[in-house]
Amino acid sequence: MRKLGIVALGAAAALTLAGCAAGGTGASGGSDEAGEIRVWLVGTDTPDAARDYLVETFEEENPGSTLVIEEQTWDGLVDRLTTSLSSSDSPDIVEFGNTQAPAFTSVGALLDISDQYEALGGDDLLPGFVEAGTYEDKFYAAPLYAGARVVFADPAFVTEAPADLDAYVSTAKELAAANAGKSGIYFAGQDWYNALPFIWENGGEIAVPDGDAWDAQLSSPESLKGLAQVQDLMTTASLAPKDGDNAEPWTPYCEGQAIQFSAPNWAYGLASACETDNPPAAPFVYALPGKNGGAAQAFAGGSNIGISAKSAHPELAKKALAIILSDEFQTIYGENGLIPAKQSLASTLGDTPEAQAYTAAAGNSKLTPASPNWAEVEASRVLEDFFVKIAQGGDLKSLAEEVDTKIEDILNG
Amino acid sequence: MTATTAAPAEARRPAPTRRRRGRVSSVLLGVAAIAVFLVSVFPVYWMVNTSFQPNGQVRGTELHFWPDNATVENYVDVIFDESRAPFIPALLNSLQITVLTVVIALVFAFLAAIAVSRFRFRTRGMFIVAILIVQMIPAEAMIISVFRLMDGWHLLNSIMGLTAVYVATVLPFTIWTLRGFVNGVPAELEEAAMIDGLSRTQAFWRITFPLLAPGLVATGVFAFIQAWNEFVFALVINPRPEAMTLPVWLRTFLDPNGGINWAQLMAGSTLVAIPVVVFFLFVQHRMTGGLVSGAVKG
Amino acid sequence: MTQLSNRLESVPSIAEDGRPGPGSDRPERRRRPRAALTAYGLLLPSLIVLVVITGWPLLQLLIMSFQRFGREQVFGAPPEFAGLQNYLDVLTDSEFWLVLGRSVLFAAVCVVATMVLGTLVAIMMQKLGGVLRTIVSIGLLLAWAMPPLSATIVWGWIFDTQYGVLNNVLSQWFGLPFEGHSWLIEPLSFFFVAAIIIVWGAVPFVAFTLYAGLTQVPDEVLEAAQLDGAGAIKRFFLVIVPYIKPILIVVTILQVIWDLRVFTQIYALQSIGGLAEQTNTLGVYIYRVSLGTGDFGAGGAISVIVVLLLVSISIFYVRQSIKEESR
Repeated sequence: MRKLGIVALGAAAALTLAGCAAGGTGASGGSDEAGEIRVWLVGTDTPDAARDYLVETFEEENPGSTLVIEEQTWDGLVDRLTTSLSSSDSPDIVEFGNTQAPAFTSVGALLDISDQYEALGGDDLLPGFVEAGTYEDKFYAAPLYAGARVVFADPAFVTEAPADLDAYVSTAKELAAANAGKSGIYFAGQDWYNALPFIWENGGEIAVPDGDAWDAQLSSPESLKGLAQVQDLMTTASLAPKDGDNAEPWTPYCEGQAIQFSAPNWAYGLASACETDNPPAAPFVYALPGKNGGAAQAFAGGSNIGISAKSAHPELAKKALAIILSDEFQTIYGENGLIPAKQSLASTLGDTPEAQAYTAAAGNSKLTPASPNWAEVEASRVLEDFFVKIAQGGDLKSLAEEVDTKIEDILNG
Repeated sequence: MTATTAAPAEARRPAPTRRRRGRVSSVLLGVAAIAVFLVSVFPVYWMVNTSFQPNGQVRGTELHFWPDNATVENYVDVIFDESRAPFIPALLNSLQITVLTVVIALVFAFLAAIAVSRFRFRTRGMFIVAILIVQMIPAEAMIISVFRLMDGWHLLNSIMGLTAVYVATVLPFTIWTLRGFVNGVPAELEEAAMIDGLSRTQAFWRITFPLLAPGLVATGVFAFIQAWNEFVFALVINPRPEAMTLPVWLRTFLDPNGGINWAQLMAGSTLVAIPVVVFFLFVQHRMTGGLVSGAVKG
Repeated sequence: MTQLSNRLESVPSIAEDGRPGPGSDRPERRRRPRAALTAYGLLLPSLIVLVVITGWPLLQLLIMSFQRFGREQVFGAPPEFAGLQNYLDVLTDSEFWLVLGRSVLFAAVCVVATMVLGTLVAIMMQKLGGVLRTIVSIGLLLAWAMPPLSATIVWGWIFDTQYGVLNNVLSQWFGLPFEGHSWLIEPLSFFFVAAIIIVWGAVPFVAFTLYAGLTQVPDEVLEAAQLDGAGAIKRFFLVIVPYIKPILIVVTILQVIWDLRVFTQIYALQSIGGLAEQTNTLGVYIYRVSLGTGDFGAGGAISVIVVLLLVSISIFYVRQSIKEESR
């Protein structure tokens, strides 16, 4: 009998499992009268003031409805969106990185909000981000905010922005030569984001559409010119690890080992609050100069925001999205050093020298090729490998031809 | 055979002739033990050391082998700072899921291990091979399917859903290992006891079960650590913040925009590690509390 | 003492037939139908869990590997049947074979190192006195308890090119030319670092499990193995190993499985330094193909191939151990 008892215990436990299965979270009703809107914001970039404003305004305008912000992490975000957006428990509004956008706009995960385009801001919206959120002429994801990539320099050595890109390269090399043990510009081997402006400014591209296919361009004469500048900087002006990533470039800055580094604008706070023994002064900030003066075309990081195709309350979600793209909400981003989704709000960044540099850099931002397969290029790490080999002093032409083949394989695969 | 059931404690006492050489080798043994300890512990020490330092001095040319300017601020921030994901609810979720996983997995695996090692039935070989193969499947490849299964049962964001997944994850391992332990206990022991007049079941519980205690502890610790540290399934199956487990909570510190607060991350890591240590000390005590030797004597 | 010698004599009779376990069962008793029924009853809870939560997704994975299955299909587009295309694509891709060869070699090194060190530590723990044994087990446990994310970060710091503890100590304390040395840029050095991290993380598990196994070995058997004289190692293999063989095999197979699929450590190290193309292993490769790029069909095909490979590696042991038991 005791044997039977054990069996019964096991079965009972299995039943308990199944019993609990039935009592899980239920799906919410489909009515648009009132409901709960769940908004996924990623990381801590969106300030608390903006979150409070969103919740209060939404609940005021839609009595009876509630809005909940669920903070997500950048780490593993694509996996989580891929699963959650397809589930019965999908969030209503989701934020994601602008380079991640094509992975979701092209697969039917998001609601088509083309009819909202004008109401949300129309041509005032950051164009590069609108492009990232658009697929086959339908608008799926609006810009949320952007960051600008600028150069940070130790004011003890650099007090004036170089006039053009060539001057920038020669200044960095001179600084490195004159100050042993310091990087003229801290430029780690894996750092392909900061290498892109050199390619673009010299007239090169990563890849261009060619009919239905993509034609990789890194071995074009223009791109090679830019890559030569990158290699020059990495090998003669930088002491950064040849295979390192660009995480935390303010650390060598604070240690007095890097005179300049290039990073998204939020790095300003970290580089001006060093906790080392003899910290350098708060950095002098300028936008990377272009080939012919002005600001260089730089890679813009930032976020897009869209509505889940499975949202239970699409009309309410659209109302919430309208609040997120309102001038009031976007101004809070500007006041906190992030570039608002609307060009007309650039002035909210303030008029400090730093803010002017951010605005200048953001004004000429450019994106990676708008192919749904681009995420695959990033996931394969071919670009990191490519620039690490460049930093090690490899032959540019053969490396570029090799990587072009790989990129075409992926984009056209 | 009766002698085997009454192993006296003095059996391990070294014979007198071995003493001198024993001293040299016991010094070597001690040195090796300390070396193993130091290598094992250094990264852990570095984690704890970092968690008591101000974040500003964590990365840099100057190494701090001791937490100078020691502070508990990181811990206070990690536990009480309202602007970040709250620690206590994540801790409670993790505790419930992990304890349930360990208990259910051990009970189920124990029964299954008995079945495959003490009984002969037709599909036995098939079952053993099947649970081996199941462990070879890369978890990364199964995420989508498991997620859909949980979604279909409305088990997303629940304690039960993740527990069920973890039980299924650790079960093959626990069955396999426990089977090894059951095989290691000679059936003769049971048979001898049966000759002494115990029923089969009684013989099992009085003789074999106590000998399995170390195995149950070892696999229990394994199941605990697996469930406690699992990240990928927790990330996709429990995406709502209130259903978050500790490994997912820990990743909220890795915010690439705005710089990572390493000191807080390490304080969080230390907090995540503490319950595992407590659990182990608890069961370790149970294991060395005389269960094994007592049972063999009785 | 007579008691002891009695017991010593009884030992070889158990060890001789290969295994001390149920090899000497009286089959006629155990094969009765009621016994089989009991066995199935005992298996039932585990079977239910495994069939539902592992078996069903596994079937899906298998089906997926014969389909074109991307993110569109996750969001409801009907998948297209692709026959063996995914398998052909994978098997004709030279990168797959490179990754495979690299993974097998790397896993072999890790498994051998882990098993040797783990066994030595387990034996050591058994020979140690109470205080030292407690110290060692606390050390091992702390290493085991450390969250994998934190362990990888801290190891990354130790080997960091610029601010790493190791370079710092080597160059400043010993005057060796290791300032700014990259430990990850050469694939061989990369895998050396990866192996250290993996073995460090796996030894506590192996040591604890084997130690638990050793405590099952009857005292007099240990006593016999501990007797002085030449061939202490031989005695270990001849006397103790037969007792802990089932556990030893289980643990070894598990290490093979885990090390061949290793993901976290390699993935994290690649973001710190080194060249991804020259350091991808199977686990990372599967991730980059399936979740990284959304090609779940190809990811499924690679997974199936990996499982088949692992089965063929371990089938020898499985067949042997099943055969031994079924005698």
